Amino acid sequence: MNARTDEKERKKIKAVKKMKEIMTFYYIDAKTASETGKKVAWITSGGPVEPLIAMDVIPVYPENHGAMIGAAKMGVELCEKAEAMGYSGDLCSYARSDIACATVNGGPIGGLPRPDMLVCCNNICGTVLKWYEIQARYFNCPLFILDTPFCHTSFSAEAKRYVRRQIDEYITFLEDVCKKPFDRDRMAEVGRLSIEGQRLWQAVLDTTINRPAPMTAFDAFFHLALIVTLRGTQQAVDYYRLLLDEMNERVREGVGAVDEEKYRLLWDNLPIWYRTKWLSDKFAAHGACLVADTYTSAWCSSLKYMNEDDFLESMAEGYTRIYLNIGVDEMARTVIAMIDKYGADGLVMHSNRSCKPYSLGQYDIRSIVERERGVPTLIIEADMCDERNFAEAQIEGRIDAFMEMMAAKGSA
Amino acid sequence: MKFDRLKEIVEDPWGTLGEMKERGKKVVGYACSYVPEELIIAAGAHPARLTGTREGIRLADGHLQSYCCSLVRGILEDGLSGRGAVLDGVVFPHTCDSIQRLSDIWRLNVKGGFHLDLVLPVKLDTDSARDYLVDVLKRFLSDLERALGVEVSEADLRASCLLTNEIRRLLHELYMIRWRRPELLAGADLHLLNRAVGIADRNLIVETLREAVADLGADGARETTKGNKNILLAGGMCSTPDIFNLVAEAGGRVVWDDFCNGGRMFLEPLRLDGDPIAAVADRFLSRVVCPCKHRGLTDRANHLKALATERGAGAVVFVHLKYCDPHAFDFPYLKAELEKTGIPSLLLEVEDPLPPGAQIRTRLEAFLEMLD
Amino acid sequence: MITAGVDIGSITAKAAVLKEGEVLAVSVGFTGYNAAQAGMKVLAEALAEAGVAMEGVDAVAATGYGRRSLPVAGTIVTEITCHAAGVHLLHPRIRTLVDIGGQDSKAILMGDDGKVKNFVMNDKCAAGTGRFLEVMARALEVDLDSFGELSQRAERAARISNLCTVFAESEVISLIAAGEERENIIAGIHEAIGSRVFAMINRLGYKEPIMMTGGVAKNKGVVAALERQLGCPIEISPYAQCMGAIGAAVVAREK
Repeated sequence: MNARTDEKERKKIKAVKKMKEIMTFYYIDAKTASETGKKVAWITSGGPVEPLIAMDVIPVYPENHGAMIGAAKMGVELCEKAEAMGYSGDLCSYARSDIACATVNGGPIGGLPRPDMLVCCNNICGTVLKWYEIQARYFNCPLFILDTPFCHTSFSAEAKRYVRRQIDEYITFLEDVCKKPFDRDRMAEVGRLSIEGQRLWQAVLDTTINRPAPMTAFDAFFHLALIVTLRGTQQAVDYYRLLLDEMNERVREGVGAVDEEKYRLLWDNLPIWYRTKWLSDKFAAHGACLVADTYTSAWCSSLKYMNEDDFLESMAEGYTRIYLNIGVDEMARTVIAMIDKYGADGLVMHSNRSCKPYSLGQYDIRSIVERERGVPTLIIEADMCDERNFAEAQIEGRIDAFMEMMAAKGSA
Repeated sequence: MKFDRLKEIVEDPWGTLGEMKERGKKVVGYACSYVPEELIIAAGAHPARLTGTREGIRLADGHLQSYCCSLVRGILEDGLSGRGAVLDGVVFPHTCDSIQRLSDIWRLNVKGGFHLDLVLPVKLDTDSARDYLVDVLKRFLSDLERALGVEVSEADLRASCLLTNEIRRLLHELYMIRWRRPELLAGADLHLLNRAVGIADRNLIVETLREAVADLGADGARETTKGNKNILLAGGMCSTPDIFNLVAEAGGRVVWDDFCNGGRMFLEPLRLDGDPIAAVADRFLSRVVCPCKHRGLTDRANHLKALATERGAGAVVFVHLKYCDPHAFDFPYLKAELEKTGIPSLLLEVEDPLPPGAQIRTRLEAFLEMLD
Repeated sequence: MITAGVDIGSITAKAAVLKEGEVLAVSVGFTGYNAAQAGMKVLAEALAEAGVAMEGVDAVAATGYGRRSLPVAGTIVTEITCHAAGVHLLHPRIRTLVDIGGQDSKAILMGDDGKVKNFVMNDKCAAGTGRFLEVMARALEVDLDSFGELSQRAERAARISNLCTVFAESEVISLIAAGEERENIIAGIHEAIGSRVFAMINRLGYKEPIMMTGGVAKNKGVVAALERQLGCPIEISPYAQCMGAIGAAVVAREK
């Protein structure tokens, strides 16, 4: 084994294997739910999963499924199928893929298990409301909507009351569908595990404060899966402890994710799932490490509002004040705080045709960040799942030009 | 015909609002039909629905990507260009993702005037949502009072409820007259009227509508029968293009519309007894929803099917703004539901202004030829 | 009964003369600046070829973008209805018609009676129209007419994924820069246009047998690509370019 492959081997994150194993078992569990008598709920990525876990319901995430479809490069085929069904090609590519996939059981895992209920939280977008209405009609199953009023500048007392009441309605809904009482002790335990998992996930992400960073945002995109799908379980806590240990080990040994890390960049918006490898290699070739991102950190963005001793009470605020459900200026402040925390030299924004709440406002965030921190921004026009909106030549040219500019800036 | 004055107003909305302002009236702009005009009127101000500029976009593109609809882009352009400076304040309700971000971008970039977010519930079918809706409307009223430096009495609210109810009643009556005797009022006039209702002095609207209703007469002897080329229009804003006229030119007849600034505008009068704020809330809860809101899974389909039957429509033409996600998501389901009752439909995706070329006409004409 | 149909498109004007359902003559010319003049010119040419005087024509119908400009038209009707009428006259078995013109493409589903049951048109973007091919031919410096033949010599189709014509053009340019064989790129372009058109037809919900008309129908490569996507053969009418005009003459007789 020569030094080069040896180095490559050293850079591989060992926990990946464990992660793949957990996700495989998770999907097997979910796909065989009808045989094991467990109920399945489809839930939005920012949705309140903890009460489901407390009720032994298997949560399934169409958005995680969308990411898998994108990564498997099956997005175009499914999006085209949705367009044939009459859905506009301008709609969210996760929604298009999922709506089409449900009718053909296609995609990388042959479709998601049939839901017994749908849980939609609109803290990430209005799209999920429409998407879940469509699926509720298609599967003819009950739909619960957790309506989290948008916090442009504040979280009002009225909104807090409203969301808190809905948490009770949610519990009643679950008791009705599952035909069993809600176990509050179990809930308290799940809530503690959820918060512990989120803290560990934040700690994993924070290892990139070190130079060189032991992992990149592209790694975070992968390891994110558990904090989304298995939040509130011991499994997620154990996994992130394992991953954190490995990252700390790398930090101690000075193992960087990118050879000769010269530039540290912050990624904004969802990944471009079908091109993560290409983008990762592209940036690494310039000695640029994407040290953090606004996307994977969103799953611990409201930790400050959570109370582990009273999860149910605090979750109303925690679920309402997440990264996407806030004003553009507060998002810009978050980006600036991340630039400071991780020592980022530049910002890479994915202007994502599929996600209006994440993307509209990016131009203003860019201006604010440039004004406040003098940090330059690269904008990549693409889509998270629909490859037809990815213009490789343009994007490659823009990345190269941006990195040349960073280099000129560094030497000046 | 009688709408010459309204034509001037629609063609120069900012001039109209400027004149009102000169006369000492406070002007409050708002971005969607879920803003209760009653509260703004009760606070002594003039509510002006923002429908976006039709002039060239120069500044808004610096803040919005290409995949944002022309309505949001046009509204922002009005703000950034300084045309909107005539407004004493703006109100952005919680509707779609794009309007939500428009509120932020406006707040950060358009100076002068107050800025209010009316964060309405998205669900409109639960008790807790109703209570929250009443709460936010009350907060909105007190925000308005503070911003405008006025105190609103219950009598003010009752008066404004009476005024908006009268507009709704008259609009409905005019729609009914036109439905029975379509030759009496051109589609283009209706289109003009619908645009003007959000801009002009509401007393002028009442006056104009009363005259029109009296002139056209209450001759309701003839009932319109179902006709193949009787068209029900459906969609969001009917700002531009004048789809009423395009349908007429293509040989069809618009019998009714379900636009938010058209037929949906006058649905459900306000209850006049009890708490006026609760009455405003209840009207939003009982009216058929815009696709940004949720009130069961079949609300919009039921409404459209019933409307098509009731108005004798032979077909539905959906008019959607490009990049309007909520309407686009509902379309396949609505189309399928209409087909089940034997009603064909056509989708026109439009932008304001329309791109050059006559494809929209070709589509409409071919659709109508198909209905022969 | 003798009828005439004139189809004034954005690039070419076409005329057809029919006698009792039989095509006596067709004529094609460029539209140019004056749509009315162009329409009258092709009509006169078709009449001359058919040996019929203007006075001998019982009815004239006009279609296409310039349909309102023809002074002698008694009936004005869209090209959607006309294409269906023309195909029904000449090829009554056909149930789905795909027409790819210079800047429009459309798919029409027809009933047993030849009437339009449903139709779809491309959105304002040029992907999936003849214009897309023209842009690519320019980028490749290849005569568009040789596209069909060249693509048949391709070893494999290069991958072109962008929806936008401008971006797809730059994809083609980077393929050229990467040394990809011209034939393979052309085959890739045909695959790309084929999948756009296929997506559109899919939206319609097509029925066999399928026929293709319009200028692009002459390109064997596009037809083959679309056939692969559809998984069924596509028929090409010898009157591919004049179907709208023939249909207009049919409609003129009905009115």
